[in-house]
Amino acid sequence: MTSVIRTEKLTKSYGSHRGIVDVDLDVQKGEVFGFLGPNGAGKTTTIRVLLDLIRPSSGKAYVFDIESSADPAAIHRRLGYLPGEFTLYDRLTGRQTLEYFGNLRGGVDPVYQASLIERFDLDPSRRFREYSKGNKQKVGLVAALQHRPELLILDEPTAGLDPLVQQTFFAILREAVAEERTVFLSSHILSEAERSCDRVAIIREGRIVRVDRVDALRDLAHHQVELRFAGDPPTAEFATIAGVSDVQVEDHLLRLRVLGAITPVVQAAARLGVTDFLSREPSLEETFLAQYGREADAPTAEVK
Amino acid sequence: MAAGIGAPEIAAPVNTIPFRSRIYGFGSIYGKTVRDSRLSLIIAAGLLGGMSLVMAAGVSSIFPTPASRLEIDKLIGSIPSSMVNLFGKPIGLGTLGGYFTWKYGAIFAMGTALWSIMALSGTLAGEASRGSLDIVASAPFGKRRIAVEKVTAHLTMLGLAMAVLAVGCVAGSTLFGDASLGDRIAPLSAIGFALWVGFIAIFFGGLAFALAPLLGRSGSAGIASVLMVLLWVANGFDALAPIAILSPFHWLAGHIALVGMYDWPAVAFTGLVAVVLLGIGVEMFTRRDLGVTAGLSMPGLPTIVLGVRGSTSRAFGEQLPRAMSWGIGLGLMGALIAALVGTMASQIGNDPNLSSTFSAIFKGFNLTSAGGWLQLYVQLLLIAAGFAAATFVSKWASDENDGRLEMILATPLVRARWVIAGGIAAILAIVVMTVLFAAGIGLGAASGGVAVGDAITGSAVVGLYAAAIVGVGIAVGGVWRTSIAAEIAAMAVLVTYLIDLVAPALNLPDWVHQLAITAHLGQPMVGVWDPVGVGACLLIAAGGIAIGAWGVTRRDID
Repeated sequence: MTSVIRTEKLTKSYGSHRGIVDVDLDVQKGEVFGFLGPNGAGKTTTIRVLLDLIRPSSGKAYVFDIESSADPAAIHRRLGYLPGEFTLYDRLTGRQTLEYFGNLRGGVDPVYQASLIERFDLDPSRRFREYSKGNKQKVGLVAALQHRPELLILDEPTAGLDPLVQQTFFAILREAVAEERTVFLSSHILSEAERSCDRVAIIREGRIVRVDRVDALRDLAHHQVELRFAGDPPTAEFATIAGVSDVQVEDHLLRLRVLGAITPVVQAAARLGVTDFLSREPSLEETFLAQYGREADAPTAEVK
Repeated sequence: MAAGIGAPEIAAPVNTIPFRSRIYGFGSIYGKTVRDSRLSLIIAAGLLGGMSLVMAAGVSSIFPTPASRLEIDKLIGSIPSSMVNLFGKPIGLGTLGGYFTWKYGAIFAMGTALWSIMALSGTLAGEASRGSLDIVASAPFGKRRIAVEKVTAHLTMLGLAMAVLAVGCVAGSTLFGDASLGDRIAPLSAIGFALWVGFIAIFFGGLAFALAPLLGRSGSAGIASVLMVLLWVANGFDALAPIAILSPFHWLAGHIALVGMYDWPAVAFTGLVAVVLLGIGVEMFTRRDLGVTAGLSMPGLPTIVLGVRGSTSRAFGEQLPRAMSWGIGLGLMGALIAALVGTMASQIGNDPNLSSTFSAIFKGFNLTSAGGWLQLYVQLLLIAAGFAAATFVSKWASDENDGRLEMILATPLVRARWVIAGGIAAILAIVVMTVLFAAGIGLGAASGGVAVGDAITGSAVVGLYAAAIVGVGIAVGGVWRTSIAAEIAAMAVLVTYLIDLVAPALNLPDWVHQLAITAHLGQPMVGVWDPVGVGACLLIAAGGIAIGAWGVTRRDID
């Protein structure tokens, strides 16, 4: 496999403020790589270093095996970028904006550009300042996609898009990957990554806390189980089962969280006369919150 | 025990907001607006107070004796009526207050009015266009209160600046004036002068404020500014007498407070009209949809002018509207001046006494020639050209400050090329502005029977100076931060102007005066060029762009 993005101990600090610390990434050609983390975790800082908009305090970043600050133009020639927040030229229409960015980059196929405009349902005749937030986002997306770049770096790409346009966007991403192009997608919405990514890196407070396949992250998954009993729930029997935690009782209802195999819980429930059984596999988002939210809460608990 | 998550059942009590943050800080819209205006207050108050001290020192040093004061008094009735009316009645020119009012009063009033126009046109309309007003307006109080608090905050800052001006006048007369020559300015006179300046400013600011809900920020500011110049000029020309009755300069013609001439009813009337305009603005804002303006229907520019072919053409396309605005404004002013200077020169040339008096006031200018008069005015217009250059720098800087630069630099365009493209575009904008200015000067000179050759070629000095200011701004933006580039460029214009003004007036060492690049430009309107100044301007322009291009490769993009 070929690395399209590679970072080695990448660190960026803003004086006393934390930026990113020792970030190691390796994004392979042809994959959709999710870069996940809460607001302010360091996602945009990492992207800005990759694009040479800011320079690292230490460490290295390579895109297409070119060090990001050595020849940024050579890197930029092969990528498409959508910033998380951007403004463009108020007086230009959507079409003029796309024409301008097409001229700066070169290599835009007008037919493909037109198909993107149509699929995103964008009216390119309006001035940029007249667009709604979602339509501005569409202009940014078309500008990033229109030259079929080898690498797409997209920072919060679905912000402001309605669900139908989001579907179109993910369909276009799948097409890009089918053409062996690479996508680096930053988001704080885990369901987005769950839906489109092969692998994800999770960044928290400037540090990468996990890099794995989406499937593997789901292995972290627990089951959220609800058991209803005719009388008082036998809490103690369940609390001692391996992997069970967060046992809560509400009248005749017993709620618990099961990490790993659920069979012992099912067997105990059958033995103790359960009247109703509900088990739900959590989303990646819930998994993430359970895993990393718990870690985040830990210091607070200790203080208490 | 499981913790409940969600909204609390009982809302937390609202904390008492300290009074201090209500009047300065984040405790109220008024406090926030006052806080946001602190820099503009410092600049305005510094300029008004500082200039009043400098002018007082200058006048006292140039005309220190009773004989020289008598010479100035001879100006009464001897100068062209257009000048008399434009600058106000020349009463008590032999005193510090009279001379100060006549020569600089209109500059103080219109400069302050420009501040008021920019502040009051932008305080609501500008925020509405950015969308930040939506959040403020969703707070639990009405739109009227928002508008009133915003206006009150500006009036507070204006009042403080006027207080500084009044103190500056009193202090200047006490420190530098000669009481035996009638120079002492009483506190009441200084207050009267500050009220004259302040009420004229609020009148035009109020006009902008009343128009802003309809026309948006730029439309209302533009119309108020044009009307300000028009009503000032109307006050000086018989041909425009019918509209002069609408001019606060006309209403307040009899109020020359610094010589003890008061017309309090006129002051009160002007204040009343200003308050009515502000009230109209508040009501318009309250009743209209937030942020929905009729706008001024400007003709759309063709794609070729908008420039989507490359970075230089795009940057020039962004600069073109303001280049046209500055060029047309300077061109109209140039045409007006050039049409008048022939008459002024011949009147002074026919009176040796008047000629010597003017020579004493305006050292180094041959005011018996039309070219000399043009040169005098061009010295003043250099300030406008410098500020125009600062706005071109601001437009270039907006790529980074507004958040476009990230997308631009994610293309194969390298940073240095972006700076060079922006610099070339700013220089091209200056060319457009200068050509329009030269055309205005040429047309005015032709209509006034003045030779147009030197006047047109001499107009290039405006462009050279502006190019140097662009160089300063782009160097600062490239090396340091674009967010302060335009401010530093504007500061360079002000400092240059003050050095050029103060150094000769205070008899400072010549090297101080030589620090101002405007002291090295010769007198191009009479055909005298100084190659050193021309070379310096070109070098600063090109060098500044080169330094900016180098600097931006070495720093992070904001």
